[in-house]
Amino acid sequence: MNKKKIENPLKVLASKFKWLGQTFRKGDILTKLSFIIMGLSNIGRGQIAKGLMYMILELSFIVYTVSTGVNNLIGLTTLGTTQQEMVYSEELGIFQVLRGDNSMIMLLAGVTTLFIIGFFIVVWISNIKSAIKVQELKETGKEIPNFITDIKSLFDSEIHKLLLAIPITGLVLVNVIPLFYMIMMAFTNYDVNHQPPGNLFTWIGLQNFKLLLLSQDTIAGTFWPVFGWTIVWAFFATFSCFFGGLFLALLINSKGIEFKGVWRTLFIMSIAVPGFVILLIIRVMFAPHGPVNVLLKELGFITESLPFFVNATWARVTVIVVNMIWIGIPYSMLITTGILSNIPADLYESAKIDGAGPMKIFAKITMPYVLFITTPYLITNFIANINNFNAIYFLTGGGPNSLEYFKGAGKTDLLVTWLFKLTVDSKDYCYAAAIGILIFILSSILSLFIYNRSGAAKNEEGFQ
Amino acid sequence: MNTQTIGINTQNIGLNMKSLKKIPFVGAVLMTAFFLPAVKISSEGISASGIKILLEAILKWETVNDGKTGIWLVALIAILGVSLISILTSSGLAFKLPTKKCTKYLIFTYVFNFVSALLILFTVTKAVNASGVIPVKFLIKYLSFGYWIFLIGSLTGLILSLRSAKINTGYVALIIMALIWLFPVAWIVMISFRAETGSYTSYFWPKTFTLDNYKVLLTDGSRFPFMTWFGNTLVVSTFSCIVTTFIVLSTAFTLSRIRFAGRKLFVNILLIIGMFPGFMSMIAVYYILKGLNLAQSLTALVVVYSGGAALLYYIAKGFFDTIPKAIDEAACIDGATKWQMFTQITIPISKPIIIYTILTSFMAPWADFIFARVIMGDNYKKYTVALGLFTMLSRENIDVWYTRFAAGSVLVSIPIAILFIAMQKYYVEGLAGSVKG
Repeated sequence: MNKKKIENPLKVLASKFKWLGQTFRKGDILTKLSFIIMGLSNIGRGQIAKGLMYMILELSFIVYTVSTGVNNLIGLTTLGTTQQEMVYSEELGIFQVLRGDNSMIMLLAGVTTLFIIGFFIVVWISNIKSAIKVQELKETGKEIPNFITDIKSLFDSEIHKLLLAIPITGLVLVNVIPLFYMIMMAFTNYDVNHQPPGNLFTWIGLQNFKLLLLSQDTIAGTFWPVFGWTIVWAFFATFSCFFGGLFLALLINSKGIEFKGVWRTLFIMSIAVPGFVILLIIRVMFAPHGPVNVLLKELGFITESLPFFVNATWARVTVIVVNMIWIGIPYSMLITTGILSNIPADLYESAKIDGAGPMKIFAKITMPYVLFITTPYLITNFIANINNFNAIYFLTGGGPNSLEYFKGAGKTDLLVTWLFKLTVDSKDYCYAAAIGILIFILSSILSLFIYNRSGAAKNEEGFQ
Repeated sequence: MNTQTIGINTQNIGLNMKSLKKIPFVGAVLMTAFFLPAVKISSEGISASGIKILLEAILKWETVNDGKTGIWLVALIAILGVSLISILTSSGLAFKLPTKKCTKYLIFTYVFNFVSALLILFTVTKAVNASGVIPVKFLIKYLSFGYWIFLIGSLTGLILSLRSAKINTGYVALIIMALIWLFPVAWIVMISFRAETGSYTSYFWPKTFTLDNYKVLLTDGSRFPFMTWFGNTLVVSTFSCIVTTFIVLSTAFTLSRIRFAGRKLFVNILLIIGMFPGFMSMIAVYYILKGLNLAQSLTALVVVYSGGAALLYYIAKGFFDTIPKAIDEAACIDGATKWQMFTQITIPISKPIIIYTILTSFMAPWADFIFARVIMGDNYKKYTVALGLFTMLSRENIDVWYTRFAAGSVLVSIPIAILFIAMQKYYVEGLAGSVKG
């Protein structure tokens, strides 16, 4: 996994090989042998426990590779060759299922094997590092750390290894392997017509992306409008919530308002309730026969129900407004309250002495300060809104559905909710995976923008 | 002579006389608004003022036999009467006796008038429709400028009287907004006590109230075992909260305090993983958990909720970054190991961010639905509350279970809302820190 961004990955790789070559030349016979038989240099120089651990790891890796690893790797390239068939069994007199290959399991096993190989390479490199280090210690006549001092160092100079072990294991298991697997899936034809174990799927290269982005198919005719709406949604959701929250925070912060804490608590009631509850309630509230329409009819404002979630344009506006009022504004009120309390009071005082009115103070001090601090936050929020699954899925479920769109997609669907529908409802995994990658590309372009804007990234140590 | 002037002046202290002097004029406008057309239906050629509606309704009083209509009528007359009298007296007071007590009376008058203008909006349809003064339904659609002048005028009067007492007029906006914000919360509480089942009713206010919805959830688990779900969620969130907090704190501490080879790479990898939509990988997660024999179990949920917790290190790191490095250096000179620095120095002074992490990770399983749905499938017994409540809204259940869904939502929301409100201080501190960093 060469995911370093700034340095050229090829150069990094080249320098690693160079280092290996130099180490090999510098090493004595034990170290040189350690390149093949791991841990030999450690055992030969007294670090028995450590050396044995390397050896056991190598042995189990070899056993794994021979027993299943090789098959898994071959499976990864073919993704299965024999399809499941119905065979007439003479003895029993019925059709029996002859089990074929399961492409999905083979892909997953292949990916897991790749990760095990990757892990082994990391262990191998650490073995060589350790081999040459112990050799150098011996040559210079320094004391060689035994097993207990190694363990002790885990609590001090090597603490990052101890503290990061569990986080990284969790991350690899729950995030990295599954993600890698899904990314691979974007290059296969694992759609509803190629479902294992009944059918096989196989590698098709970049065809899914071509189909999504460039073709005249309905799926491309769905992708571009959904993409456009995702951007429009993210824009309005981010900025309306931000300015609404800023306004509310300023209102509560203004002089002469008593019980500020109570007011804030009142306004966050709707986000204190679990998000899906409030969204489902609002969905029912704005339904054609829901209480909002009933109330308006009872009062005589309208005779026909308003099509809040029925008409495409109405639904889009309603979703933006509902998300702003009941979800977005409370959150951004909390955040801007924190920021406002950080604005130095002397700025305001000197502005007042100079005779600036409240509007001018807002325009010249509050706004620039808040914007300066929150620009990175706004962009992160923009990305979060691109991925805002809950708001759309629970409010409209993506609806109203449209016949012009690919199966099941609706006029308020974002890319993420469409992705969810493609995975759970229609089982078109390959398209879902391709969309996921496209969302990733979109988010990373925006994040690069944050990285260049925020001083935090460049000046990480500034605060310490 | 002299003392009298001083006397008046002391009474005027703390008052905004400029606004106070305008109030009688607003009162005069409101008075005339009664005689302007309040209802106008061009197609029927009807145009009626507030007084006229009132008088005609009273004249038809005899012919209306329905008891309920009588109550509406009396309420309407009482509201209009009090409005008239209070506007007259308050305007007079503002003119003659501008004191602090007077401004209080003014505020009361205009709050009353504004609310009564709204109340008339709500009641006039029923009252007048029933009394038959005007032969057209949906009266509010035909409200004319006389009514709107009354509504806007009383709002202006309220703002002026607040100003004259030097009270922030933001209260008006805050109260109106708070009502909008609290509406869904109040409504779900109301539905949870409704006796009539079904998701939609053709009327707003429930006809009968009951506690049965809660009783069924708490005692009868035959269809949907709500209490089991509650227990499941509690177990999952407790364990995932412990693991998540440990992971977040150790990742954040390491990335903030320790400089090691590959640190930058690790940060970048975290950044990259974080940019993929979180549930893109859920199908793969499901099969991996199945391979580990964990599918459809609560352990699987704990693993899924806390496994990727390292991605959430950012806020805690922002907090740790603000702890001065000098503390670490001093400890280092005193011979403390890094482990001691973590457990005995950093953690004790990071209470806000630890509480924040604990509370957010505890609350997450109560709200998540996606992973629970993928992992649990149709195993009702192992559902979490969020997933279970969502199931109650499926097409075949919603008619019977909608009001119980409301009751369940209330039961879940109470503890979570309390935690959230307790947490908001730490939320603000934590986020403000990380935004800044």
